[in-house]
Amino acid sequence: MSPPYPHANINGSDAPEKPNVRLGFVPLTDCAPLVAAKILGLGRRHGLNIELVRQPSWAAVRDKLLSGELDAAQALYGLVYGVQLGIGGPQADMAVLMTLNRNGQAITLSNRLSEGLRQGRSLRTQLAAQTHQPVFAQTFPTGTHAMWLYYWLAAEGLDPLRDVRSVVIPPPQMSDAMALEQLDGFCAGEPWHAVAEAENIGRTAVTSGEIWPDHPEKVLACRRDLVALYPNTARALTMTILEACRWLDAPEHRREMAGWLSGPGYIGRASNLIAPRMLGDYGRTSAHALPLRFFADGEVNHPYLSDGNWFLTQYVRWGMAASSVLDGHLAAEINQTALYRQAAAALDIATADSDTRSSVLIDGRRWDGSNLHAYARSFPIQHDAHAAGHKAK
Amino acid sequence: MPLVIPGMRFAHTTVDSIVSCFIMLRILLVTDTEKPIGELRDALSQHGYEVLGDVASPVALLASVERQRPDVVIIDTESPSRDTLEQLAVMNGAAPRPVVMFSHDADQQLIRAAVGAGVTTYMVDGLAPDKLSPIIDVALARFAEETRLRQRLADVEQQLADRKLIDRAKGILMDKRGMSEAEAFETLRSLAMKQGQKLADVARQLIAMADLLG
Repeated sequence: MSPPYPHANINGSDAPEKPNVRLGFVPLTDCAPLVAAKILGLGRRHGLNIELVRQPSWAAVRDKLLSGELDAAQALYGLVYGVQLGIGGPQADMAVLMTLNRNGQAITLSNRLSEGLRQGRSLRTQLAAQTHQPVFAQTFPTGTHAMWLYYWLAAEGLDPLRDVRSVVIPPPQMSDAMALEQLDGFCAGEPWHAVAEAENIGRTAVTSGEIWPDHPEKVLACRRDLVALYPNTARALTMTILEACRWLDAPEHRREMAGWLSGPGYIGRASNLIAPRMLGDYGRTSAHALPLRFFADGEVNHPYLSDGNWFLTQYVRWGMAASSVLDGHLAAEINQTALYRQAAAALDIATADSDTRSSVLIDGRRWDGSNLHAYARSFPIQHDAHAAGHKAK
Repeated sequence: MPLVIPGMRFAHTTVDSIVSCFIMLRILLVTDTEKPIGELRDALSQHGYEVLGDVASPVALLASVERQRPDVVIIDTESPSRDTLEQLAVMNGAAPRPVVMFSHDADQQLIRAAVGAGVTTYMVDGLAPDKLSPIIDVALARFAEETRLRQRLADVEQQLADRKLIDRAKGILMDKRGMSEAEAFETLRSLAMKQGQKLADVARQLIAMADLLG
C-alpha cells in the first residue's frame, strides 16, 4: 500500500464521484503520460480505474469527448480552444485540466529543400522557384501543429494561407506522401520526424522548441461539465497524470517508456526511433532544440492562461475567428487553474504564483499574455476574418 | 437501424428543390477501415448516383476532392482520414463537401455533436443500400441549409464591419472638417455615388488617407 497523501482523503469527501475513467489518446511520443499512468497503475491510489482507448483521428477524440464516450483525453492544445469557439465544427464548453508536455514537435522538409537551406537559400526563394504549388501538411485545422507551421512559415516571410497549400495528413502517412513528392514539408509530433530521417525521406528543419521555446503542446482535456459534475474525479485524474509526468522526468524511465510505446497497441515503431528524441538527442540536426519536457517540477503542467490565449490570438491572426473572441475571459473559463493548484498542492508540487508567463518566439516577438488585440494584429503577415484563405492584409 | 437524423423533417421540405439541381450526384466512398463502405457502390449506382473511384488513404482523398469535386463523401467515423476532411471544411469554407458518416453505435449525442462539423448526417451500422438514397438527399439538403445560414451570418457580420468603418469615417470628417454628422454622411454618400463605389469602400479610403496624413 502506498503512503497516504497528506491532503487527499480518497475514502471521505474527496473520493472520485466517478471512479471509472475512459481516456482517449493518439499514438505519438507525447501520449507517454497517459500510458505511464495506465501501465504503472497510478490511478489506483487516487481511487480511479483508468481505461485507455487509442483514437484514429483528432476528430474522433473531439466527437467522443463531446458524446461522453470518452471522459477525458490527450488533446492538441488548439483542438480544445477550437471546439470552444466552434471553428469548423461543433461548439462546446471545454476544460483544460493541465498541460501534458512542452516542445518535442518539429517541421520536416524534403531532402531537396533541406539541402537548399543548408546551402543558404531561403525557403521563400526555393519555394518561389518551384513549378508546383508547395504543399505542407499538419494534423488538425485548429491544432498546435497547424499553428507552429503557420508561425514558422510566416517568420520565413511566407503566407501560410496563400503561398502554400495547407493540408492534413495523419502523421504515420506523412513520410510516404513526402517520398512520393506529394509533400514539401510537414509539422507533426514525434516519432514521425525521426522516422522520416531514418528512412532518408526528409530532414528535421526546425524543432517546435525553436519556434516557441517551451511552448505548450498537448493538454489533458475534458468537457467543462465533467469538472462541474465530478470535481473530485477531475482532481484525482489531474493528480494521477501529474504523477505520471513526474515519473517521466527520469531519463531511465523515458527509455523504458520508449520501449512500451513501440508496442503495437501504441505507436508500433522501433523504440530506437522513439527514445533518442524523447531524451533530447536530435543527432546532428537542431543542436539547440529545447527538449521534450513532461514535468520540470510542475512548471510544464500549470495550465497558464497566457498559453491558452496565444491560440486565440493566432485564430484571429489567421482569420479563423473574429477579434471579439479576445474580449472575454475564455482562457480563465477553460483552463482549470484552481483545480490544478489543488491537485499540485496535494502532491507537494510547487505552483507558479502567476497564471501568465512570458516568452520570445522565433521572430523575436515577445508574448507575455497581455494586450491580446494588439498582439494578434502585430504581425506583418496576417489575415482578416472574411478574407481567410484569399488575401493577406 | 439505418439512421438517425435530427432535423430530418425540416430538411425534407427542401429536398426536392435541391436534388433537382443536380443532374447526377457524385459520391465518394472512403474505404480505409474495415467497415464495408465499398460494398455500397453497386447499390448507389443502381439508384442513379455516380460513384467515384474509392479512396483508401488521406492523400487519395485530397486528390479526389480537389480533382473530382464529389457532392457527397461517405466515410467511417473511425477513419484515419477524418482530420483531412476537417481541414478541407475549415480552409475551403466556400466549398466544403457534405459528409455522411457511418458510426458503430447509435448514440444520439454523438450524432448531434458531429452534425455541423462539416458532417451533415450520421448513420449507424447495417448499411441498408435501399435506405441510402433518402439519407444522401437529406445530407445534401442540410448542407445547402447550413451553407445558406453561414452566408447569411457572414453578410450580417460584413454589414456590422461596414457600419463601423462608416462611423469612423464620419468621425474623421466631423473632427477634421467641422461637419455635422448629417453633413459627414452626405459627403460620404455623394463621394460614393460619384465614384460608383460602395459607401464602406469610400469610408475605408478616407480612413487610410487620414491615417497616412496623420
